[in-house]
Amino acid sequence: MRQTVQAATLLAAALAAPASAAEGERIQITGEIIDTWCYFSGVMGGPDAVVGSAHHTCALWCSAGGIPVGLLGEDGEVYMVLKIEGDDENASGDTNLNLASHEITADGMLYKRDGLNYLVVEQVVTDHGITNLNHEDYGVVPGFAIPEPKP
Amino acid sequence: MRVLTTSLALALLASPAMAADFSEGSTAKSWNLYAEAPAFFEAKVVDITCEITGDCTDNCGGGSRQIGLLRAADGVLVFPNKNAQSGFQGAAVDLLPFCGKTVEVDGLLIKDEDIQGAANIYQVQKIRETGAQEWTKANTWTKAWEAKHPEAAGKGPWFRRDPRVNAHIAQTGHFGLGLEKDAELIKELFE
Repeated sequence: MRQTVQAATLLAAALAAPASAAEGERIQITGEIIDTWCYFSGVMGGPDAVVGSAHHTCALWCSAGGIPVGLLGEDGEVYMVLKIEGDDENASGDTNLNLASHEITADGMLYKRDGLNYLVVEQVVTDHGITNLNHEDYGVVPGFAIPEPKP
Repeated sequence: MRVLTTSLALALLASPAMAADFSEGSTAKSWNLYAEAPAFFEAKVVDITCEITGDCTDNCGGGSRQIGLLRAADGVLVFPNKNAQSGFQGAAVDLLPFCGKTVEVDGLLIKDEDIQGAANIYQVQKIRETGAQEWTKANTWTKAWEAKHPEAAGKGPWFRRDPRVNAHIAQTGHFGLGLEKDAELIKELFE
């Protein structure tokens, strides 16, 4: 009987896990606003190539197209951005678009669920602009992002 | 009884790994992505911001918020990053008509252990309400964009005609580093 109760308790705890995992904690974090699909899927190359100045035009396209925006922290973790300074338009919103490829220092609430980090940015403490000048290594990614100038 | 208890505990601990394979019944097309896996599953369509923070709006945000899939089999919140169209379109517009409904979806799950956080990311290819026969292809974003931007009608893909994107490029260039630097880099690229 005791074992049955223990098993039931374990089961209840497991079922309750997602709700408790979604409790937020206050954090301040610095990182780059990226488009998450290119980063996670590898569709256009490795993670170092699909960030920064090399990928800026694509980051604009993806943000405008409603691909989720994330903050790639200095710790290497991606934080899926839910809001920025009260703007909850996290699918193709203007605030996300305006910050594409920018390094920001953000103060806000962190939530974790099912292997993903979620971030509500309450304040952009500092907008450092585009600081990852990886075009020096990668040129432009993807190559067709910049049309060849007409003679 | 002890064996039963241990078995149950092991099953619970093992369930995330076991639940990760949703390939049975999938007819999703490969995109030849390194970490893709076909995935067909039942889920409830939810507003992700509402689900995570409790800040909810009507109709999942009406297309302005990311939409998630709360998987029926294990309660995992799957994050659709991409719709079925080639190009640069997310999935919120395609999932919006199904907000709050229980659906079946077919597509590709991304789980790349070499990239931190690359788990439960999804590319949705088709959607249908549970019990329905007909699928809806997740390819409606471009038509929605055309309806929203009649002033941007013309030849070529939408992303080369998008007024907001083009305003940014006109202001800070393709690399985002200013027009003078942009011209210099483009000259180097095409020399």
